[in-house]
Amino acid sequence: MFKKVLIANRGEIACRVAATLHEMGIRSVAVYSEADRGALHTRVCDEVRAIGASEARESYLNAEAVVEAAKASGADAVHPGFGFLAENAGFAKAVEGAGLTFIGPTAAQIRAMGDKREARRIAERAGVPIVPGAEGADGKALVRAANAMGYPVMIKAALGGGGKGMQVAHDAKQLAEAIEAAQRVAASAFGDASVYVEKLLERPRHVEVQVLGDGQGRAVHVFERDCTLQRRHQKVVEEAPAPTLTADQRAIVTHAAVRLAEAVHYRGAGTIETLITREGAVFFLEMNTRLQVEHPVSELVSGIDLVRAQLSIAATGRLPFEQHEIKRHGHAIEARVYAEDAARGFLPQVGVASRVRWPDGPFVRVDAGVESGDQVSVHYDPMLAKVIAYGPTRESAIERLLGALDDTRVHGVVTNLGFLRALLRAPEVRAGSYDTEWVEREFLAGFAALAQAPAPDLALAAAAIAEAAGTPAARTAPNGPAAPALDPFAQLGRWRQAGLAG
Amino acid sequence: MKTFWRDGARVREVELLAVAPGRWRVCVDQAEFELSSETMPDGRLRLQGDAGVVVAEVTPDGSRRFVRLGVLDFVLEREVAVRKGAAAAQDGGLEAPMPGVITKVMVVVGDDVTKGQPLVALEAMKMEHLIRAPRPGRVKKVAASPGQMVQAGVALVELEPA
Repeated sequence: MFKKVLIANRGEIACRVAATLHEMGIRSVAVYSEADRGALHTRVCDEVRAIGASEARESYLNAEAVVEAAKASGADAVHPGFGFLAENAGFAKAVEGAGLTFIGPTAAQIRAMGDKREARRIAERAGVPIVPGAEGADGKALVRAANAMGYPVMIKAALGGGGKGMQVAHDAKQLAEAIEAAQRVAASAFGDASVYVEKLLERPRHVEVQVLGDGQGRAVHVFERDCTLQRRHQKVVEEAPAPTLTADQRAIVTHAAVRLAEAVHYRGAGTIETLITREGAVFFLEMNTRLQVEHPVSELVSGIDLVRAQLSIAATGRLPFEQHEIKRHGHAIEARVYAEDAARGFLPQVGVASRVRWPDGPFVRVDAGVESGDQVSVHYDPMLAKVIAYGPTRESAIERLLGALDDTRVHGVVTNLGFLRALLRAPEVRAGSYDTEWVEREFLAGFAALAQAPAPDLALAAAAIAEAAGTPAARTAPNGPAAPALDPFAQLGRWRQAGLAG
Repeated sequence: MKTFWRDGARVREVELLAVAPGRWRVCVDQAEFELSSETMPDGRLRLQGDAGVVVAEVTPDGSRRFVRLGVLDFVLEREVAVRKGAAAAQDGGLEAPMPGVITKVMVVVGDDVTKGQPLVALEAMKMEHLIRAPRPGRVKKVAASPGQMVQAGVALVELEPA
């Protein structure tokens, strides 16, 4: 097993990976940008390395700087987390070129699956149905193909993923405009302006399968997750198992996923995303060659630490368990807490999360990237934490998650907590009767009306009394600076560990 | 003491009169009631009114107050001058709605634009946002260039009547 692993990431996922490394007695190395000096992920790791300026391009996306930091730290492996360089084939190659182990798939696998057009061809060859679609060298060819296929269609970045740069078009005029916008986003985000179109499946559910491959042609699945609750193609709430999946559908998607992973000799943890239509047909969407944001729900229902499994496969080239040893119990559900103002178009928020209290309690897990006093920066994704709850049944898991979200307090930056709590209370969510467009189509308007309702008189009285009474919390001047950031090292709580930050 | 608070789209008025130590007569907009307050050791406020007790947690952030009542959270903003900036916000659309990176500038000074015409594309948090003309006019000033990182509220384009 590895002795020291560098985590090429930040925020909650860097903390999550560090927790498993710590448990396994492996030394962890954090990297940080200028903006993340003193950030939580640097406080939970055993060593820290500065890698550059605040802009992601200069730091977390700077493969050279990260590899350099890994070499200098004496790490024998690199865990990429998700996002940033996790699905960058050049980075995987550079890590291995430096004589270190990349904890993930091979560069060739990342490249093949990273080009969504190539991934579609691979899936088709493996006998996994793909959504009807078309590629084209230019916008005009794509419009012609879409005209033939029929609208609405979805425009996607060829090298994209995770919903970035995705657009829907309902006619040729919209499509031309959307292609141009998607190309701009694709060029700036992925360094390649290529886009392709897919027929938009109406009102599907998003079901994905967690797989683990040994890199030599054997793979297992750790069941499925349902990520149907989305807003603008970004997942909001995820759960396992998928509540509406029949046993037959479960067999179809898990077998297809394993077949696909085995066909490419997939190495490490990956996810095969599918869309399931109202008629029950399963279509391949894409394969993500990394750990997913929502991996904790699979961990809770299977009892498998997926990061540990990744490390084990990377170190030994073998799967740590056989398919028949992977069991599933109960239900787990996760909500993503973002620094965004749900009442004002989900505008991302920046600032100091001056007072944060994450929930605890039986069967509640929090993967957080900030604690009280931490900065929420303009430079990175505004996800602050994931709150995950487990229960013997779906209803009990939702109840627990709601209780946990009620107990969560984030002051200093506006969050989507109110949105999440309203969403989880919606009857459709309780009944499991929704699709990937439901949040925007049916839920948001009602929520917006609720969010814009006046605050209770008591809230205003509390604000005025706090100021007049000069409570410790309100001692700053009305327009003065925010409450001073607390000493981060006094705030470590459960993350406190020996050998911290050098 | 009278204070004004922005609550979403509205500005609300709170008048506070200390009738005894820890005892207040409160008037929020038109509604009048009495409350006793006690600051708990952890800094939270225990508020007692006719209807019962509620624990409030008030966290200042500049002029904003994060107010937690029981398990409900609200964000209020202390208004120094009533309705300051309300008129400016009316026009909207010409300022960066959020921090991000300018990806495209579609107009130059002197261009005549129609209402709704895209002026600047801003990429933030995985999405592209188009800043559109809120009214017809002529571009007087362009303060954005591709690749530039901007903060929320920064003016990107200035329009004048054509």
